[in-house]
Amino acid sequence: MYHTVYVTSYMTTSMTARAEVFENLKLELRRGCLTLAVLTQLRTEQYGYTLRKALAEDGLEIDEGTLYPLLRRLETQGLLVSQWREEDKRNKRFYRLSPQGELTLNQLLSEWQRINTSLGKILQEA
Amino acid sequence: MSTPKNPMELIDRYLQAVRFWLPKSQRQEDLIAELGEDLRSQIDAKETELGHPLDATEVSAILKHCGSPMIVAARLGPKQHLIGPTLFPIYLFVLKMVLLWILVPVFIFIIGPVNVAKAGSDWGTAVVNTLGDLWFGLFVAAGTITLIFAVLERTHAQVAIADKWDPLKLPPVRKQERKTSLAQTVCEIFFGMIGVMWLLLLPYHPGLILGPAHTFLKAAPVWHMFYVPILLLGIVGLLRSGITLARPQWAWFPRVAQLLQTVLSLIMLNLMIRTAAPPTGGDWHPFVVLADAAKNSAEYVRVAAVLNSSILLSLAAAWLGLCIAVAIQSWQFLGFIRNRVSSTGQPASLHVQ
Repeated sequence: MYHTVYVTSYMTTSMTARAEVFENLKLELRRGCLTLAVLTQLRTEQYGYTLRKALAEDGLEIDEGTLYPLLRRLETQGLLVSQWREEDKRNKRFYRLSPQGELTLNQLLSEWQRINTSLGKILQEA
Repeated sequence: MSTPKNPMELIDRYLQAVRFWLPKSQRQEDLIAELGEDLRSQIDAKETELGHPLDATEVSAILKHCGSPMIVAARLGPKQHLIGPTLFPIYLFVLKMVLLWILVPVFIFIIGPVNVAKAGSDWGTAVVNTLGDLWFGLFVAAGTITLIFAVLERTHAQVAIADKWDPLKLPPVRKQERKTSLAQTVCEIFFGMIGVMWLLLLPYHPGLILGPAHTFLKAAPVWHMFYVPILLLGIVGLLRSGITLARPQWAWFPRVAQLLQTVLSLIMLNLMIRTAAPPTGGDWHPFVVLADAAKNSAEYVRVAAVLNSSILLSLAAAWLGLCIAVAIQSWQFLGFIRNRVSSTGQPASLHVQ
């Protein structure tokens, strides 16, 4: 019985560790993609909620705690500009790409295409 | 906690709780306003979907999905740390050095034995008090070091540390020259500790050296003169073993330190033998003297005389042994230097055997 308990406990721990490793890797993989997706969406002006909704509709769900710090960071880096404006009797903060953001996004998209092509080749060879 | 009549008040309560965990700044209000707007938009969307205003339970479900105020604040706020990745390795090194290599040995080898010796028969209380003092000392030292490093982190001292390095000044690749066995060093430390503790207890418990004879014999003044140097030599030996264990790559250290310690012991032994030299006439009691109560006993006088002669002979034998040890250790040290000189100029191997 002790053996069964030990094996079950070992397997549970091992599975938890594997799941944690996967979650961390998934997070790393998502991080760069999210920035690219947010910058692309903000080619047209949007506020936080509509941006989250648009991303979720395209299959990239993002919570408030991730999106707003990301928007702040991109704005600090000069890639976005924002403006508080009243809409439907409520104050909303609207974001859009800055000229520098447009330039950086084009560079990032080229890089993304290059990586995608390389990865496609690698996956085909494997 | 009361349930608000207006379900939208839950949003304000939630935002207030998030604000509590965010650092106070202009940015805080900005973040709170944006989060509030996001939540109200979510409620609007849900109301449109359901076709009726949301009640408290439905608003509560949206807030629950958003996450606990503390976690949301942690995600929204700036990423903070007390000691950053640049300073952390140095912090850990200093912490280990001070706590494990300074504070703990000082308590084990000096403060603890002194407290136990002073306490006499009540040694249990002394041990407990020493452990309490050690715990307090560790706590204060760790807190102080952490505080200093947190201040350094805030003053951006790590930038200066990170920039002040030169590839040309990096130490050469270590050659694995460790000859001293780990087990030997650990044994030296263990027995060295026992020896130092024994020495510290001796003035208070003469029975530890004289046995039952301490009732009629006592240490001669010569021991008062040489007690501190003997104790210091013991501590030096302990430190030598500790450094050998901590710095195995210092291949030269055990040889030099051992030789120095042996020479110092020889000098001290020589002085002791000279001090104890028999006078031309009168009584000769250089190492042990009779206690006042036993001065009239002829038998005890004979025992004391035999014991004094035996100690002198033992010291002479030890002196001879130390002379031989100095010669052997000097020879070994010279051989080590010769090997070092002959290997200079050859490239250091990266392979560890």
